[in-house]
Amino acid sequence: MTDATPLPPTDPGRHLTSPTTRGALRVQQQLLTAAREFLRGRGFTELLPPIIGPVTDPGARGSKQVDIDFYGHRYKLMTSAILYKQASLLAFDKIFCIAPNVRLEPLETAGTSRHLAEFHQLDVEVAGASRDDVVQLAEDLVVHMVDSALRELPKEFAELGRDPQAFAELLKGSFGRMRHAEAVAELQGVGHPQSADAELDWAGEALLSTRRDRPFFVTDYPKGSRGFYDREHPDDPGLLRNFDLLAPEGYGELCSGSQRTNDYAEIITRMRETGENPQKYRWYLDLVREGVPASAGFGIGVERFTRYVAGLDAVWQASAFPKLPGVVSP
Amino acid sequence: MSDLSAPGFPEEEVRRRARAGAAAAFPPAEDYGHVLFGAGRPEPADHAALPDALDALRIVPPLFLPQRLAKLIDLGREPDYRDVELSTEIGGFTSALPVYASATGSTRAAGGDLGLALSRQAGALGIPMVIGENVVPVNGYGRLGEAADRTLLGRLRAYTEELPDGLGGVAVQQSTEDADAEVWNLVHSDPAALPLLESGRLAFELKVGQGAKPGLGGMTVLEAEAAAALGDRFGLDALFGDGRVLRTATPGTFTAEILRQQIRLMRNNYPRVRIWVKLYPGRDVAEAARVAHEAGADAVVVDGAEGGTGWAPGVFLPHVGLPLAECLRRLAAAPPPCLLVSGRIWEGARAVKSLALGARAVGLGRAALLAVAEDRESGLRRFAECLALELRLLISALGKYAPQALDREDVWSPEGF
Repeated sequence: MTDATPLPPTDPGRHLTSPTTRGALRVQQQLLTAAREFLRGRGFTELLPPIIGPVTDPGARGSKQVDIDFYGHRYKLMTSAILYKQASLLAFDKIFCIAPNVRLEPLETAGTSRHLAEFHQLDVEVAGASRDDVVQLAEDLVVHMVDSALRELPKEFAELGRDPQAFAELLKGSFGRMRHAEAVAELQGVGHPQSADAELDWAGEALLSTRRDRPFFVTDYPKGSRGFYDREHPDDPGLLRNFDLLAPEGYGELCSGSQRTNDYAEIITRMRETGENPQKYRWYLDLVREGVPASAGFGIGVERFTRYVAGLDAVWQASAFPKLPGVVSP
Repeated sequence: MSDLSAPGFPEEEVRRRARAGAAAAFPPAEDYGHVLFGAGRPEPADHAALPDALDALRIVPPLFLPQRLAKLIDLGREPDYRDVELSTEIGGFTSALPVYASATGSTRAAGGDLGLALSRQAGALGIPMVIGENVVPVNGYGRLGEAADRTLLGRLRAYTEELPDGLGGVAVQQSTEDADAEVWNLVHSDPAALPLLESGRLAFELKVGQGAKPGLGGMTVLEAEAAAALGDRFGLDALFGDGRVLRTATPGTFTAEILRQQIRLMRNNYPRVRIWVKLYPGRDVAEAARVAHEAGADAVVVDGAEGGTGWAPGVFLPHVGLPLAECLRRLAAAPPPCLLVSGRIWEGARAVKSLALGARAVGLGRAALLAVAEDRESGLRRFAECLALELRLLISALGKYAPQALDREDVWSPEGF
């Protein structure tokens, strides 16, 4: 454990020179190096994702997008690269990117130890893949990244006070898998009031995470808890072919992903179900109408993943210039 | 005073109440001892362009009063109208009266200092207030230096500054065009809304269409310059021929599944916020109310096709949508637990009839705006005092002492209802 305080120091110099920050950023660099190595080895092409666009991912729970004035047009900073990931499959069948995201999260998330208003996502998308294909891919990728960091940076782990034994189970692979309905039942069984129609709440996620010794997948979230792009089960309406990857030890969600819907009419209908106005998605819908490949993919929160691997108290410790929701910072 | 008027609506009576307060519940006091009163006195129905089934109902007190006996035992003395307790749970909020201030949006009639004055007075009264659609895309939110009196933040602040502890709450509407401006996310992450959020007094209202023009979206008339500033976010139609244009919002597309999932998404994204759903008086209003309630809405609001603060084509008001009375009839079999209704509510009888027919509370739209227009400082407060007195008189006459105790037995019509 570290001597972390709940909030970053107001002096950026103090944060940057702290041994914890240095150690965490070295671990982060190694995790990304390993990810690139792994994905290139499997035939993925790395793209540089856009930062601005006329529209972005609306799927972020309760957070506000940032509007910018683009020569008189209202543009957005990306909350995730999802729309561009799907579109990029027109160029390459397997792509990844390390994408910056900005989400003005609700003020209450400043104290969750796991929310940043600005963060990065390791985004992966595979044409023709199923949800289960990319669940397996995410598991293999995570094992490779952690293994690489442990092998390359024993000194950093020692300085951070992170016991490599914490990953003994992870390195064996075979992460657990449970359906959202099972997660809800487990939480309700221990007296946590989790809604069956909603995302697992933060306390619920932490609770499940504390009860496990290796990362695990939660699959089949209900419609109404996710964005319009997650594909609905054709034979189990109301459930989505999606997943989250949760870390053990109470660290909670590391990654979200799904099989995507690429059917034009279904996307429009799902946009309405998520309260969206299809008009503003024109470029994306035009592309879908002409045809984008069926695909599946995921995004790993880079700072959250670093926090888990480095054993940090708060996600801001994994960022050189952290922006906490509502906190004015450099 | 303002230039606001409301043809077809008992504007003068509302304005008299805004001036005289509770005294306006009675004939002028100087008539006492000199005038004999009886049938033939103008009835509320005379003000309506069409016969109104709700106004035609009579409120029918019984002779035997078991609930009054219970109150008598409780108090140890004969109860009177002052013993009626009007505070009511409305959509997750506690309201001083079974009354809320209906949505007033970005229209000119509800804009400017009138909207602010209404917010202040509704806050002081401790009744919930709905902030209407399109305020943000048209007038701005208020954090970036827009004129405060038109913005959502201006109204939010005016309301909360006057709000007593433990009472009231704000419901912020979002329509399809508001979704582009992310109104809910904006409010949800705004420090100014935090006190409401933390005290459980913030609701988001999903707007399914317009009471005064069912099937259409919001409409306003704008000068060409103001319209140009809206870009392509709204439909613009230069049909007036004088430089002004009609600005239209889309009504949005709903199916049962779309409504259900939108409500679930709201509950997922804003777990600490109350969820209200506003329905226009469509012919399937009972089915829509059922879907909304089952998906988890804290309140279902039904706006009868009786009028509004916005701009509507002349052909709609007399011809389109179910009147409030028919909405209540269709909802009667299985009313949602928290049904809120609006539609030409301005005095106690129409309110009591609505409550008896299944509503939890009634909304004040035009009445609230006219009362505030009559007196920016205290018009709505005086108007509400008069309404509260009438509610107490009527409810106690029925031998009951809380609005929730009213039921269908309390009203009668020759045709049955």
